[in-house]
Amino acid sequence: MTLLYLALGIVLGFVLSRSGAADYDYIQAMFLFENAQLYGILGTAVALTAPGIWLIKRRGRTLLGRRVEIELKALHRGNVAGGVLFGIGWSLAGMCPGPILVNIGEGKLYALAALAGALTGAGAFGAVYQRLQRPFRLPALKVGTGEG
Amino acid sequence: MPLILNGLPPLHWALAGIGIAGVTLALLFVGSRRFGVSTGLEDVCSLVMRVPYFQRGAVVSGRSWRLPLLAGLVIGGFLSAAAGGGWEPTWDLGVFDRAVGLGPSGKLAWMFGAGLCIGFGTRLAGGCTSGHGIFGLANFEMPSLITTISFMLAGIATTHIVYRLVFPLAGGW
Repeated sequence: MTLLYLALGIVLGFVLSRSGAADYDYIQAMFLFENAQLYGILGTAVALTAPGIWLIKRRGRTLLGRRVEIELKALHRGNVAGGVLFGIGWSLAGMCPGPILVNIGEGKLYALAALAGALTGAGAFGAVYQRLQRPFRLPALKVGTGEG
Repeated sequence: MPLILNGLPPLHWALAGIGIAGVTLALLFVGSRRFGVSTGLEDVCSLVMRVPYFQRGAVVSGRSWRLPLLAGLVIGGFLSAAAGGGWEPTWDLGVFDRAVGLGPSGKLAWMFGAGLCIGFGTRLAGGCTSGHGIFGLANFEMPSLITTISFMLAGIATTHIVYRLVFPLAGGW
């Protein structure tokens, strides 16, 4: 299974690399409404994933017969505050988390600093989680803010 | 518009969308996995940080599939460069070089700061473009809609401030 996840990551990394989704200029052009490439990609991906998820949930089993369980994310104040903070970072870096890794693979040296920053930021979040729980109405520690 | 990577032409957007949807659905159909990259940041933190948040079962149990997926992203980027004009270390940052014009050390500082926002923000929001923007929206989840609207609006505002106000692009793209 490890090899399968590695292979899926390679396919995804290649597609992100060649599509513009991991390209600083395309990210800026998207946010300036000067190029619709990334809106087309995101729209297509969501439009195809939605019926796919529906079908898989209706079947209820994975390919190998395991039960399909989708853990839903909690709704809390961190959705807006964290979303805004992430949007600022996405614009400044021209990369969201997946493309940071893709850019490192491509040989873009500055992406290493983005990864160091992202790991530091995530680490800081984990370290102060209990202090943020009340002001942001975050879920219990063992649940966390959710996979994603 | 060519890619920064070796000036390559981009894939058609529909083809790229199909590829991303295919990987997302394969993760769910084969492993009952919910697509999301930013949780991988927690997985990496959990390898070195002993705070309770990173020692939760949900983080530790996800490492076995998410870390290989993340490693694949790096390899995929490498293969893309190697197969498309050659791999070579670069500082090339497209329009940033023409409008902002910082050198290597300035870029590292800029990217580290941006990375802090990405790491803290995605974990506070409970996901990024993949977990909220693609999987969450496709699964009709309200927190994902709210988060996606938040990060899109913040990104639009930030890029407009950077490239329309502070470092205006002379002559456009």
